[in-house]
Amino acid sequence: MATVTLTNICKRYEGPSSQLAVDNVNLDIADGEFMVLLGPSGCGKSTTLRMIAGLESISSGALSIGGTQMNNIPAKDRDIAMVFQSYALYPHMSVAENLAFGLRRRNFPGAEIDRRVKSVAGTLGLEPLLARKPHALSGGQRQRVALGRAMVREPVVFLFDEPLSNLDAALRVNTRNELIRQHHRLRSTMVYVTHDQIEAMTMGTRICVMNGGKVAQVGKPLDVYWQPADTFVARFLGSPPMNLFPATLVSDAAGYRAQNEALATPLGLWDQQTLARASAGPITVGVRAEDLHLNREAFGTSSLGKVSGRTVAVEPLGAETLLLIETPAGECTARLPRSISVQPDENIDLFFSADAAYLFEGATGKAIFNDKPRALYPGQGLAQ
Amino acid sequence: MSPPSMMGPRDRGAVQMPRLLGRAALAAVILAYTVYTIGPFLWLATMSVRTTEEISRDHYAWPKTFHWEQFHQAWVGSNFATYFWNSALVVVAAVMVVTLVGAAAAHALARYRFRGNRLVYAVLFSSIVFPPQITLISLYQILVGYNLYNSLFGLTLVYISLQLPLTVYLLEGFFSRIPQDLFDAAKIDGYGDIEIFFRIVLPIGMPAISTALILNFIQLWNEFLFAVVLITDPEKRTLPIGIRSFMGENFQDIGMIAAGVMISVVPVILAYIFFSEKLIRGMTAGAVK
Ligand SMILES: Nc1ncnc2c1ncn2[C@@H]1O[C@H](COP(=O)(O)OP(=O)(O)O)[C@@H](O)[C@H]1O
Ligand SMILES: [Mg+2]
Repeated sequence: MATVTLTNICKRYEGPSSQLAVDNVNLDIADGEFMVLLGPSGCGKSTTLRMIAGLESISSGALSIGGTQMNNIPAKDRDIAMVFQSYALYPHMSVAENLAFGLRRRNFPGAEIDRRVKSVAGTLGLEPLLARKPHALSGGQRQRVALGRAMVREPVVFLFDEPLSNLDAALRVNTRNELIRQHHRLRSTMVYVTHDQIEAMTMGTRICVMNGGKVAQVGKPLDVYWQPADTFVARFLGSPPMNLFPATLVSDAAGYRAQNEALATPLGLWDQQTLARASAGPITVGVRAEDLHLNREAFGTSSLGKVSGRTVAVEPLGAETLLLIETPAGECTARLPRSISVQPDENIDLFFSADAAYLFEGATGKAIFNDKPRALYPGQGLAQ
Repeated sequence: MSPPSMMGPRDRGAVQMPRLLGRAALAAVILAYTVYTIGPFLWLATMSVRTTEEISRDHYAWPKTFHWEQFHQAWVGSNFATYFWNSALVVVAAVMVVTLVGAAAAHALARYRFRGNRLVYAVLFSSIVFPPQITLISLYQILVGYNLYNSLFGLTLVYISLQLPLTVYLLEGFFSRIPQDLFDAAKIDGYGDIEIFFRIVLPIGMPAISTALILNFIQLWNEFLFAVVLITDPEKRTLPIGIRSFMGENFQDIGMIAAGVMISVVPVILAYIFFSEKLIRGMTAGAVK
């Protein structure tokens, strides 16, 4: 059991590229936490994880595990275990030998090795496979062996690098639940890298969204979803991604409104001072696809925003229907009930509650956080 | 299990007919080549168990009685045993060193990023491109200079240097395809660089190593040019040179010569059987995908 602390961690790979692969990352991972590193491919997740593992040197900054500085401690002495995307099972060893390999090196007595291998094999249902070589296992079985190899070590920190991305969809859901179960049972600190937002939302105690080597936002999954710190996080979490429109703030007798050629919305969640400060520059308005509706009657009397455009595509998904419209301010996707009937190439208005609107600074993309809580998400405070 | 085919039997026949023809043609070529290569060998094998008298009566007849005693006679009746053991000593020692050192060098070139990595690789590769004979005179002078001329130890060193570049080249290609994740996993499991080489690289690299082993063994076992230049003492001759003098001693005794040559071929066949790539691959199946 241990905390993991990253302080101003940077990584510059040797070679012609002078760009930082990991750029000044600060992260406090609590004891027993399931921390998910989430981000698009190439954003530095694996590099961060491999620096925690000791497989990659740390260019600058400090890493500590359980309060001990780890920068110059070799991987084998960090008491961590790692599960790789490729599983990295030793192909010339049986499942039992794969599980025992790490314990052997650490000179555990034979009886203790046997006990641990048996117990982990029992937990993961690997007993019938112990004598097999990895090439005779299915993808899901290999994955469980890779997990088992980490578990027999009983490390203080588990590291995972996209361990589910080689599994098919059904197996992925099963294994995800298995991992959640094991985390609840073991209560070890786990750091989990993925580019899959569903995995991040369902597994993470907290998630750390990364972009271009930097940490974009850290927080509980729903907090990050409801209060994205910038336009990148807003679009990365959510499917389809949040709709964003460049707009300006204008004020009249009723207060500030955000508007552009296609959209206009009152802004009930922000104080007048906040909006006055923001109105100096361009802003971006965000609305999630599921907050858009076809008929204004659904909202009762609350203040409404509106987007107008021309339908481009109607995608019935069965449970719901995605509607893509083109507006003078850009494209916009709405997630509507399956019962709607809309034709392509039709002029259409979509409505949203003013409480569903998000504001970002136009120049930096940083969120202009709302001053009053979002009534749409009861029980949530103001996450910053 | 394959999913049921959508094609009717007729379509399938139409598709498979050319493939069948192709296979037949391929089989014919392989058969012809096999007869071409195995034929002389079989002929030699039959002659080795027939007396010279029988052979001169009918060159190609199948042996009626097997004269195994010819093998015994070839072995004890001349210096054949000496040649054989000289060869065995030099070749086994050279192959062992070449395999171990070559594998270690290949692993270092394939896995570690260090300044000059590709330069070393390029130099090694260039030494494969040139024919080895061009080094003969300089090697001769070096051996004389170090008092290693006309010694089996000197010849072993020359053999090692001859075979090392190709071995490194061959193994580097294979080792570089072993996924980095395996090394990382072993590191996290607590193993150091040397242990990883012996416990991960060598076992997984067995198919390539066995190929290199067979190749080196056959080439060195049959090597003539360097042995004949660098060894003068009859007591130190290796088999390829020894067989020539053996032929001289028995130049009218064809059956005896055949028996001697057969003895010299046996180790090559044994090496092939033991280190056959197919065999090894079967044992380490799925090592590298
Ligand atoms: N061994 C390496 N040498 C040089 N650059 C690398 C190396 N590994 C990764 N990178 C670069 O570092 C960046 C981050 O990579 P990585 O951490 O693997 O991203 P992710 O896991 O989020 O997809 C990428 O731009 C990648 O090209
Ligand atoms: Mg990665």
